Amino acid sequence: MKESVLSAGIDIGTSTTQLVFSRITIENTASMVSVPRMSIVDKEVIYRSDIHFTPLKSRTEIDGDEIRKLIEGEYNKAGIRPSDLQTGAVIITGDTARKENASEVLKNLSDLAGDFVVATAGPSLEGIIAGKGAGADLYSREKGAVVANLDVGGGTTNIAVFRNGEVIDTACLDIGGRLIRFTDSKRNVAYLSDKIKILLSKMNINICEGDILSHADAKRVSAKMACVLEEVIGVKTPSKDLDLLITDCDLRRDYQIDYVTFSGGVADCIEKADRSLDDYTYGDIGILLGHAIADSDLSVKRDVLKSIETIRATVVGAGSHTTDISGSTITVTGSALPIQNIPVLKLTSDDEDLPVEKWGEVIKRKVKWYRLENEQQKLALAFKGRRNISFSQIQVLADSIIYGLENGSEDDSPLIIVVENDLAKALGQTLKVRLDFNRDVICIDTVKVENGDYIDIGRELSESKVVPVIVKTLLFNY
Amino acid sequence: MISEDRIKGIIENVLREMGSGEISTDLRTREATVSDDDIVDFGATDLRKQLLVPNSANEEAYLKLKETTPARLGIWRAGPRYMTQTQLRFRADHASAQDAVFNSVSEEFIKEWGILEVSSKCKDKDEFLTRPDLGRQINDETAEILRKNCVNKPKVQIVIVEGLSSTAIEVNARDTFESLTQGLKGHGIEGGTPFFIRNGRVPSMDSVSEVLQPEVTVALVGERPGLATSESLSCYIAYKASTSIPESARTVVSNIHQMGTPSVEAGAHIADIVVKILEQKTSGIDLK
Repeated sequence: MKESVLSAGIDIGTSTTQLVFSRITIENTASMVSVPRMSIVDKEVIYRSDIHFTPLKSRTEIDGDEIRKLIEGEYNKAGIRPSDLQTGAVIITGDTARKENASEVLKNLSDLAGDFVVATAGPSLEGIIAGKGAGADLYSREKGAVVANLDVGGGTTNIAVFRNGEVIDTACLDIGGRLIRFTDSKRNVAYLSDKIKILLSKMNINICEGDILSHADAKRVSAKMACVLEEVIGVKTPSKDLDLLITDCDLRRDYQIDYVTFSGGVADCIEKADRSLDDYTYGDIGILLGHAIADSDLSVKRDVLKSIETIRATVVGAGSHTTDISGSTITVTGSALPIQNIPVLKLTSDDEDLPVEKWGEVIKRKVKWYRLENEQQKLALAFKGRRNISFSQIQVLADSIIYGLENGSEDDSPLIIVVENDLAKALGQTLKVRLDFNRDVICIDTVKVENGDYIDIGRELSESKVVPVIVKTLLFNY
Repeated sequence: MISEDRIKGIIENVLREMGSGEISTDLRTREATVSDDDIVDFGATDLRKQLLVPNSANEEAYLKLKETTPARLGIWRAGPRYMTQTQLRFRADHASAQDAVFNSVSEEFIKEWGILEVSSKCKDKDEFLTRPDLGRQINDETAEILRKNCVNKPKVQIVIVEGLSSTAIEVNARDTFESLTQGLKGHGIEGGTPFFIRNGRVPSMDSVSEVLQPEVTVALVGERPGLATSESLSCYIAYKASTSIPESARTVVSNIHQMGTPSVEAGAHIADIVVKILEQKTSGIDLK
């Protein structure tokens, strides 16, 4: 039995706005005589939009109406209605995420997005999404190696490092093709980002917007950016320039990177050996930056793998690789879904080592703390859970959870429980019995989350009885 | 070619060396000092987490692969053969499979559970193993016991069938049963009187169903053990079971054990299947 869901990915980046529709196919991979095991067996991008320049009202404001029009236009072209979509992600990336009206723009798009998920990406998540779109996670799993993807976009470079298919590190730098923009091919400077201004003055290139940047200086600053990328990857010793250009966090560099992939708009200028294109075709330093990276030690000292997607890595990642599915035996109440942006409160492994009788107090204490520190009252309780828990222990566990989460009898929002091991159906049923069927229970398993993540849970799929899940990790932000 | 005389000579030499009185005393003393704590339990190691390949290029990736299968991968070798621990583990697993088949579910276990016990037509384990036909049937007295002690025509009848693994019953049947019963209750379904069929095979569920006539019969049966686990339980479910139903009318949920589907989760899942069978009034391959 195969079932497919339609997923949308929308990426509103510093320079470009794109959309893809992906078909995600789910199939039971267990034998006919076993409990079903649903897995994602195929992800196929079925529609790729044109690459549009992101409409801006001013330097600090996104033009929400124009974006809406643009997205609507692409829906029409693809012949897809918002109601056809079961999942997906809209993300505002790079510099654009720091624009004043980002969340308002997202809200404005949410009805177009149907039921699915709307999210602003942090730089870490953005890097991870791009890395998956580029195929770096896949390479690292196939080769059993450490693969770093550098998504070099217009405003930022997002780096995600994968080992054996798992993310192990992320970083974000203010390096991009459109941090210097020109009004014309004579290199009349139209825009300089703040950090680039500092970098230029450190290099004794004293120009402001309106001046002309010499070709030699444009090449020098591009080479400098490529040099900082060498530093962040560990090919060169880190300098003060790296500190300057780090957006929020640096790589740890306590592991060896075996391979590198490139994505983002600039990646196309790295891979294309053909240098017939005029250096300033796009009115920015993107092409020069691409050439500088190609000429740097990055390509010499590390094996460069060809990424699956370049300029579309982030949008494909958003459309195809953000959605996962829950385990096949779960407990959900249809009317309570979908739910979005639920913060995850996860028990530590020390907590889990305690006998389940004691979990109630632990949960109660943690929930109380959490509610003191955060305004949002809704949360998902997560834990790994013991495999092969006995029936009597599961009764105790259910009682502990109810005791820990019940903070006022008037609260009738659903209990949301996310477990890693396969026990959600039994636990969910037990919780319902223990609550006298008076409260909705959403209990899902085979989903790995960390404390501080946010989770979106979609509606149950009609055939396979699994729910689409999107985990937004903030793990690498602290 | 070595001549026969030469071989004889070698054997004689070896035997002489082995026959030395000093060595054998030494062996005896050593034997006496070995306590149970010193003996390694080869069955206790989780094979999926054990990688015997020395200096593997990427241990993490290898272990990740091993997580996905109970197959004995990465066991390395001694010359062209298995290493001693691999060989011993193989034999240990084979031994526990044999134990599961040849041992019976203990009477204490059934007593403690507090469910009724009946037997198939087989009088003992030997007959059970040699006469599959008798393991499928019950005699008239057993039918009478069931009639007397069990709810007649229940909506759902759960039976525990010893099958080919006593270990599976002792380890997994009860949790599966409790979870299944809870699941059914959640749907407002009360089960009939559960009981245990000693020396029973899968179709014994048909024989007892002809007596009690439930709408749905659920049998939890000890699965024929393999080398991966000896604790695996299967569940067979049939709508209006009788000795005339074809095998294709049974819905099966297999591999209920520690490394497969955990028992409580399986029980909860089976409850939903039973509900579906009651709705569609059919089971097996006709169930949608």
